[in-house]
This record gives sequence, structure tokens and C-alpha cells, in this order.
Amino acid sequence: MAGLVERDLADVFRTPEPQPFTVLKTDLRSRIDMGILGRFNWVTFKNIFVFLVLAMIVIVFSSVSLKFLNQANIINILRMAVPIMLVSCAATLIMISANIDLSVGSIVGLSGVMYCIMLQKGFGFFWSAVLTMGLGVVMGYINGLLVMRLRIVPVIATLVTLYLFRGIAWTLTPRQIGLIKGNLPEGINDFARAPVLFGLPWAFYTAVAVIVVMVVVQRKTILGKYSAAIGGNLVAAELSGINVVGTVWLLYILSGVLSSIGGIARASYLSMGDPMTGNLMELEVILAVLLGGTRFYGGEGSILKTIIGALIIMCVSVGMTVLWIPPYWQSFAKGVVLIGTLAIYTLITEKVEKVTCR
Amino acid sequence: MMMESKTALGKMSNESFIVLAMCGVLIVLFMAASMFVPRFFDIHTIANQLAQQAELIILAIGVTFLLISGNFDLSVGGIVGLGAVLSAYFCQSQTGAGMELARGLGMPYGVSIVLTLLCCMGIGAINAFFVTRMRVASIIVTLGTMALARGIALIVTQGSQRNAGLPYVFKKFGEISFVGAINASVVLMVIFVIVALVVEKKTVFGRRTYYIGANPVAAKLSGIKVESHVSILYLMSSFLAGAVGIIMGSIHNAGISSLGEGFEFDALVIALLGGTSIMGGFGSVMCAVVGAFILGIMSTSLNMLGLSPDIQTIVKGAITLIAILSQRFALDRRNA
Repeated sequence: MAGLVERDLADVFRTPEPQPFTVLKTDLRSRIDMGILGRFNWVTFKNIFVFLVLAMIVIVFSSVSLKFLNQANIINILRMAVPIMLVSCAATLIMISANIDLSVGSIVGLSGVMYCIMLQKGFGFFWSAVLTMGLGVVMGYINGLLVMRLRIVPVIATLVTLYLFRGIAWTLTPRQIGLIKGNLPEGINDFARAPVLFGLPWAFYTAVAVIVVMVVVQRKTILGKYSAAIGGNLVAAELSGINVVGTVWLLYILSGVLSSIGGIARASYLSMGDPMTGNLMELEVILAVLLGGTRFYGGEGSILKTIIGALIIMCVSVGMTVLWIPPYWQSFAKGVVLIGTLAIYTLITEKVEKVTCR
Repeated sequence: MMMESKTALGKMSNESFIVLAMCGVLIVLFMAASMFVPRFFDIHTIANQLAQQAELIILAIGVTFLLISGNFDLSVGGIVGLGAVLSAYFCQSQTGAGMELARGLGMPYGVSIVLTLLCCMGIGAINAFFVTRMRVASIIVTLGTMALARGIALIVTQGSQRNAGLPYVFKKFGEISFVGAINASVVLMVIFVIVALVVEKKTVFGRRTYYIGANPVAAKLSGIKVESHVSILYLMSSFLAGAVGIIMGSIHNAGISSLGEGFEFDALVIALLGGTSIMGGFGSVMCAVVGAFILGIMSTSLNMLGLSPDIQTIVKGAITLIAILSQRFALDRRNA
């Protein structure tokens, strides 16, 4: 009887009991002999799943179309992936801390619009970029304020700011045109288009630098450890003296800044300020983060794998264009990939938990 | 988490308190708008108000029930688009001339309505399966199904709309009108709201919804079948969204794939404006109705005062934040 009640209780809790922060890398009991394929291991499979998916997608697309794996297309994919790579770095940390930021797409849009407006006003590239990043800090600060100080549930708070920021971006653009363009200085394209090294622009190398820094931050600094601790068990984190409010607030500000850099890159790529850029980006970012194996309920995750997830999304959407699949299939594809990812990871996680938590 | 009412004698429950307070806000807003906005106090404006909010309120019924049980449903906007498009596609004549978009499956209108509702409930079933069986967070799943439903609508219409070769009955429902702009969807809205209120307050089903939202563990342990209950709520929500889609398709006399864009946010906003709690276990369909009219009066008077619709997005967001914060403040003061 007692056992029954216990199992029922465990059934009811949506969040499984707090896991250790890192999944055990190797566990002898979890290995299943598979003959020629060697030893199959669910934990390893979960760890390399995202790489397998990327490899599979590249193989499929390149075998269907010759245009997929040529230099121009790869450069194009990497150039276009800059905003989502930047945004999903910070989003991973936020999701690891069991919070969520849905407003990233709107921050990208508003930052792009602000950047172009400041360029039109003649601020120069450097100061426009700096001021836009300042704006990103403010927007992240607002998100953090709503979530941590005013204690509104993250989903609702950032959903509201999603519409707030998007509304501001629309208000700032002239109604008749709906875009900020014309009168922009020469060389606005340089940041996100002009090749510097291996045909890739500055924006890409900036993103790579940010990713490297963020991976180090996640693995080696207390910010990464704290966010995993907060996501793993909020009460325990608070009781062990972690400044939860400050840490999560900082993560939101980080997300704001990185999103605004993404907005600058996108505006520079398009050479105009479009208030609709980053529409539905929150979907893509969540998709990238989940593809990377981060648990939605927080506690574990890896920025590097999120980046692979972001590349998968860009490969699919660019690949669909290369294969001449009409653009109205994109939304359907995203939905299917998201639902499929959820299903596969849930199944894998069940297996892993069965193996490691026995 | 908000507590259920302390029903001491002569003290009303927190829920009625919030609903009454928001009604007060609504009346004050209405009077202010009548005084300061020219031509606002007019039977046409008020009838328009009703007609504009009707579909949203029908949608918000399902969303409110899910919110009370502690779950989100962001897929309703996409399902509205899907419902409109499919109801048109199923009953378009098979031998339409010209483009591919003019040819459909040529079913009778009644059959196409039933099939459309079934397809929409299929999306709801995906939601229910992932939320209850796979234990995935409802916000993620419904965000995915939102893209899925909208994506199917876009594919069926090839990114635009299906408006040729529709039978005459297709626009029949949208054409019925009683007084001024009060049309059939308003009547339907009133019926749905009354049914929802009865279900919510007077049936076991309704009370169980509250218990699940207030404490899922306790609800489970006291023998409520939480999973199947939440599944039914998701199916109901997608059914209502599909119905709204069919109505809106009929009103526009076309299956437009972009119908209902942003409705998921609006439904959430009006539910929260009226005082339904995000944490679950607290709220009412009446809250959504009051919230819808607060939002409607605000945006209509802003429109009539000549503000651009872009600013209204900002206003909507700001009002929601203020409403959430002030309601919590009021409840804290009251219960302190």
C-alpha cells in the first residue's frame, strides 16, 4: 500500500525529483551488448543524439541536392545562423536555471530597428552598436525585474514583454513603409556580409567568440554552476546561500545583450531595420535548446549542444529553400520538429532514468 | 499560490471579490470612455463591441478552464486558422475552375464542419497526449502545436486563402444578424458562456478542475483522474477554437490561413485581466468576459481618439502587467 501511494506521488509530480547536476557519463549497468555495433549505452546515445541528427540532416540534404554542400551555401547557412546562435547561448543558461525568456525575438526586432534609426541619425557604427547593446541591457533588466522582483511567472512576464517590445518596434517605424531603410550609411553590410576569413563575416566570428566565452562561463565559472543549482533545486540553492535573484537577473540581462547583438547582426545582414525580424524566434530558440538536450525543467544542459541544435534548425530552413520547398511549409516543419524532438527526448530520458536511477 | 476562499459569514470569496472589482473597473472605464471619447456612447459602438469580442470570448472559455487547471494553451490561435481553412477546403466544389486553390473536396457543409472539428480536436489530442502522458511542459507543447496547426493551414491554402467555389451555406452563418451588429456569434457566445458558468460552478467536473489547479498532488491522491480530466479540457479547448475558426471563416466567406493570429495571446490576456490566476486553481469564465470588455473598450476608445494600432500592442501589454500586479496587491491586502 505504502509503495502504491509513493509511486502515485512520484507520478503526480510533473518535475521528477532533483537530479544530480551532471548525468553520469558511464554506468556499467546501462550497457547493452549489441554485437557488431559494440556496446550500446542510452546515456551516451543521449549525449551524442544532437550530433547524430545534424549529421543525418546534412547527409539527407546533400544527397538530395547538389547545391546543399557547396561553399556558398555553407557560408550562407553560417551567416544566417548568427542571431539564433547568439540568442540561444543565453537562452540555454536561462532554461538551465528553470526560467524562460520568450521575448528574445522581439528584442532582436527592436534592437535592429533602433540600430538603424541611430545610424540614420548619424551616430556612427560604433556608438550605434554600443547604444543598442545598452538598450539590450535595459530590456533584459526589465525582464529580470518582472520575473525576479515583481514575481510574475516567467512565461507570462516575458510573453507580455514580447508584445511590448514588438509594439515599440512597430511604433518606431513609419507606418507607410513599415521598414527603416534608406539614408543608411555606406558599409552597413560590412559587419554581417563582407568576408573576412574563409568567406565569413565579422558577425560570425563575433558569435564564435561569444559562444567560446559562454561555454567557458558555463563550465568553469560560478555563474554556470549557480544556474544549474537554481534549476536543479531552487530551495536548496537559496538555502545554500546562492543569490538567486541576482543570478537569474544577470542571466536575463545577458540574454537581452546577446539578443541585441543578434539584432544588430540581422539588421546589418538585411541592411534595413525590419520590426518583424525575429518573429517566432522564441520558437526556434526553444527548439534549439531542447534539441541540445537541455531539460525544460532546468538543472542540466550544454551550450555547445544548443549551438548544434541551432545549426540543425538553420540547415533545415535553408535546405528547404535550396530544395525549392515553398516557404509556407516552414511553420509546419518547425512544429513537427519541435513535437518530434519532445517525443524522442522524453523517451530517451525515460530510458536513461530507468538505467541510472535504479 | 492563491488560497481558496475563506468563507466566513458575510465575507465574499476572493474570486467574487476580484470579479466585482474588475466589473467596477469596467464600469468606470465605460463611463470615462462615454464622457471623453466623442461618439462612444452609441448603440452601434456598443453592439460593435459585443460583436468584436464574441469570438475571442468563446476561445477564452477553453483557455480559462485550462488556466484554472494549471495548464496553458497557446495553440488556440493556430487552431482558429486551421478550422477556417479546413472548413472551406472540405466543402469547396471539386470542379472549381482556374487555380488549384479553387478546388476542394466537395463535401456537404455539415460533413465538412464535423470533419473540421475532428481535425481540430486532433491537435488538442496531441496537446493532451504530450502534457498528460509524456509530462512535457504545456507551454512548450502548445507552442509547437500552434506552429503545427498554423503550418497545416498555410500548406492547405498555399500561404494565402481559399475563397472560390464555396457553397452558398458557407457564409450563411456569418450573415445572420439581429440588432445592428449583433450577429449569430454573439448569441453563440452568450450560450457558451452560460453553459460554461453552469459547468464551472454547479457540476462536479467544474469543481474538480479547481482542485486540480489548486493542488494536483492532492487531487490525484483523492481519486480524481487528473490525466483524463486535463485531456478532456484540452479537447474542449481545441473544439471551441475549431468552432471559432468555422465561424470566422463563415463571416469572412473565405478560409484565410492568417485568421486568429495573436488570438492565443489575446485569450490569455483577457483571462488574466479578469483575474484568473496563472498558477491555477483560481478564476472564472466570468473573468474572461469582463476582461474582454475592458480590453475592447480600451482599444476602441484609443482607436476613436486616433492613436495608431501599433501603440495598442504596447497598451495591451502594459494593461496586463498592471492588472496582474494590482490584483495580487489587492488580494494580499485583503487577506493580510
